[in-house]
Amino acid sequence: MPQLKLTVNGVDHTLDVPANRYLAQVLRYDLGLTGTKIGCNEAECGACTVIVNGQSVDSCIYPAFKAQNATVLTIEGLAAEWRTAQSPNLPISQSQENGDSEIERLGDLHPLQEAFVTHGATQCGFCTPGLIMQAKTLLDENDNPSDAEIKHCLKDTFCRCTGYKSVLSAVHAAAEKMRTGTLPGPDLPAVVEPLDNVGKPLYRPDAVEKVTGRTLYTDDYLFDGMLHGATLRSRHPHARIAGIDTTCALAAPGVKAVLTHADVPGDPRHGLVENDWPVFAGGQYPARYFGDPLALVVAETEEQARAALALIEVDYEELPAVTDPVAARRDDAPVLHPDRPTGNLLKHIKVRQGDVDQGFAAADVIVERTYRTPMTEHAFLEPECSIAVPAGYDDDHAKLTIYVGSQIPYSDRRQVAKSLGLGDEDVRVKGAVMGGGFGGKEDIAGQIHAVLAAQVTGRPVKISTRARRACASTPSATPPSSAPRPGPRATARSPRWRPSCTATAAPTPAWAKRS
Amino acid sequence: MTHWTEYHAPASVVEALTLLEQYGNDAQLIAGGTDLLLDLQYNGHGPVHALIDVTAIDGLNTIRDEGDFLVIGAAVTHAQIERDARLRAQATALVESCSVVGGPQVRNVATIGGNVAHALPAADGTIGLLALNADVQVCTLTGGTLACAWQPLLSIFAGPGRNNLAKNQMLGAFRVPKPGARQASAFDRIMRPQGVALPILGVAANLTLDADTDRVAAATIAVGPAGPIPFRAGDAEAVLIDAATFDDGVISATIAAAQAQAQLRTSKHRATKEYRHEMIGVLLDRVLRTAFARASSA
Repeated sequence: MPQLKLTVNGVDHTLDVPANRYLAQVLRYDLGLTGTKIGCNEAECGACTVIVNGQSVDSCIYPAFKAQNATVLTIEGLAAEWRTAQSPNLPISQSQENGDSEIERLGDLHPLQEAFVTHGATQCGFCTPGLIMQAKTLLDENDNPSDAEIKHCLKDTFCRCTGYKSVLSAVHAAAEKMRTGTLPGPDLPAVVEPLDNVGKPLYRPDAVEKVTGRTLYTDDYLFDGMLHGATLRSRHPHARIAGIDTTCALAAPGVKAVLTHADVPGDPRHGLVENDWPVFAGGQYPARYFGDPLALVVAETEEQARAALALIEVDYEELPAVTDPVAARRDDAPVLHPDRPTGNLLKHIKVRQGDVDQGFAAADVIVERTYRTPMTEHAFLEPECSIAVPAGYDDDHAKLTIYVGSQIPYSDRRQVAKSLGLGDEDVRVKGAVMGGGFGGKEDIAGQIHAVLAAQVTGRPVKISTRARRACASTPSATPPSSAPRPGPRATARSPRWRPSCTATAAPTPAWAKRS
Repeated sequence: MTHWTEYHAPASVVEALTLLEQYGNDAQLIAGGTDLLLDLQYNGHGPVHALIDVTAIDGLNTIRDEGDFLVIGAAVTHAQIERDARLRAQATALVESCSVVGGPQVRNVATIGGNVAHALPAADGTIGLLALNADVQVCTLTGGTLACAWQPLLSIFAGPGRNNLAKNQMLGAFRVPKPGARQASAFDRIMRPQGVALPILGVAANLTLDADTDRVAAATIAVGPAGPIPFRAGDAEAVLIDAATFDDGVISATIAAAQAQAQLRTSKHRATKEYRHEMIGVLLDRVLRTAFARASSA
């Protein structure tokens, strides 16, 4: 195995790592510097931005061996680098007068980190390290950038929830501190009379953690002996799974277990609202969307788990697919949920307001159209990730524990317990910091699989879904392609609308109810 | 999945081509890798045993002034081009085309040689180079002997995503003639805001004006994507050169000639053929006027 030599945040490393690692992987998983995030994993979002020999790069697609003998700076080393570069005479930040111990540490940070805290430029925090590292490359060359220059610099450093105004104002403020030694505060609204808190900046209690990269998201947790899971997903939108042969996958290097529907000890189905979504398609439950999970491979490394997926043989019996909500209501439509008395109809929601018939009778003009809205992706920057640690694994985990950035941890607990045949009290869900959710992290997306795998192997198991796979396969990232079919009719004098909306219910009603 | 097993960073062209020969079809040259690594991961490029990184090769990552030409090493990054004062002054269309590729993190890594070698008809940097009448230096290793020769840029494209390089060849550099008096270039493009790596359309023009009239004495116009390989709008160039002056009518006739000659297609995630047809009009109008104004004061 070749040796990788590089200097990270001033520390020299010589590493024995496979030649096919990316720099982000080496930083995060080999060096434990998890402040560098992996978001899109394809050089679009900039969450993985680090500085190599003075140049910012997307470390998620930067081969680690490209950084052979290089000097790398990550968010973890930024403050120390700044302090080292400064003369001791530089005035310290005015904000230290605040007296708050948390705030006192701000003066030790790089001006960008300090400004991101005081200007409220952090929210979920997942994009923050990338934004700060990328902005640093700008301020190193230009300590008085315009709005346009900042936007140009941050073009490929996405944020979904902080709000760009606070980021702009933070970068300007940091530049001012670099020029003058004093960090200006944010613009504050005028108040009629001074109050204790209103009209004064309050810093997020977790902001310092976020600007220094110390905040832990699920994928940042590393446990001794942790295994990795990879999910095999249906290649057909509707298919009966006549058979799954996992023999070859089980024999593959590093593979510890391959799980299918037959391995689910409790309820074979789960769901946020209705219990209608198989933990694994197979047996009596067909795959009902392109991406429905069929099997989970658990291996020593994520790469081994993914490689073994190709060795699983699935015997699909394709069934006619339901691809349109209107077609789903036809008498001859394939029935997706045979145990549901109303067939493919989840719910008929009636909304009545005023005397619609009378309105139409009085109309001068009636316009009738069909409208369709596009599918919308939540596009949280932090891909879904679950880690399950078996009960009694170590002193911190007396109970079966799941680490997950979830919007509804108690629902996760209920669904996991039910499918495992356990009581709710037997499962602990430890809500990790979430790198954006926006409604997309309500559903199960690996939690049950991770727990099953941890139970079977007796070791912690991580299931990390990369963004592109998540978009294609997990419900959180694939909202119902809502296809409203309104028939609006309006009068010129007093508009009347009679919309009738039909939303796709497949594959699970929970999605449709929310759409 | 294992997309590659070995990573080599040779120090010379000979060493790189020797490795390439040694691994046969099981190796791939890599420069910045910003296209290649995504293809390996997501877009069906099969795994390769060895990646041979050419960016550490001495001389391949520098920009040099060589008499009548500016020479740009194949492993020069988009960011280097963007910042180079000589290129900014004398190869404007190239600088403008390279400045809009990706974001800063991508431009810090992505190389002009990679842009050309990938052979995409819409590649921004390639369109810029083409308008500047660039030559490409192809290095060939035969029986242990290295020979590098200049050839016209267009000669190395075989089709979308395919170049004419043999297994014992690699790109060494590009050279663009320094502009003469009253000569200047411009590039512009239309792009979806995010998520699609290639432009809807890019257009570059390089004009030389008569010494004392507004007549265009020489013109090079490049458009992409407008065919299977980067497209040189020869008919449009002829209209400009044959005209007695440069005015709205001549611009319209030039646009019409470019539209008639371009082989446009609809691409699913970018634009329709009809939209591209119209955008040739918009962009060519813009770059011709810009290049003309620059040439007038050059």
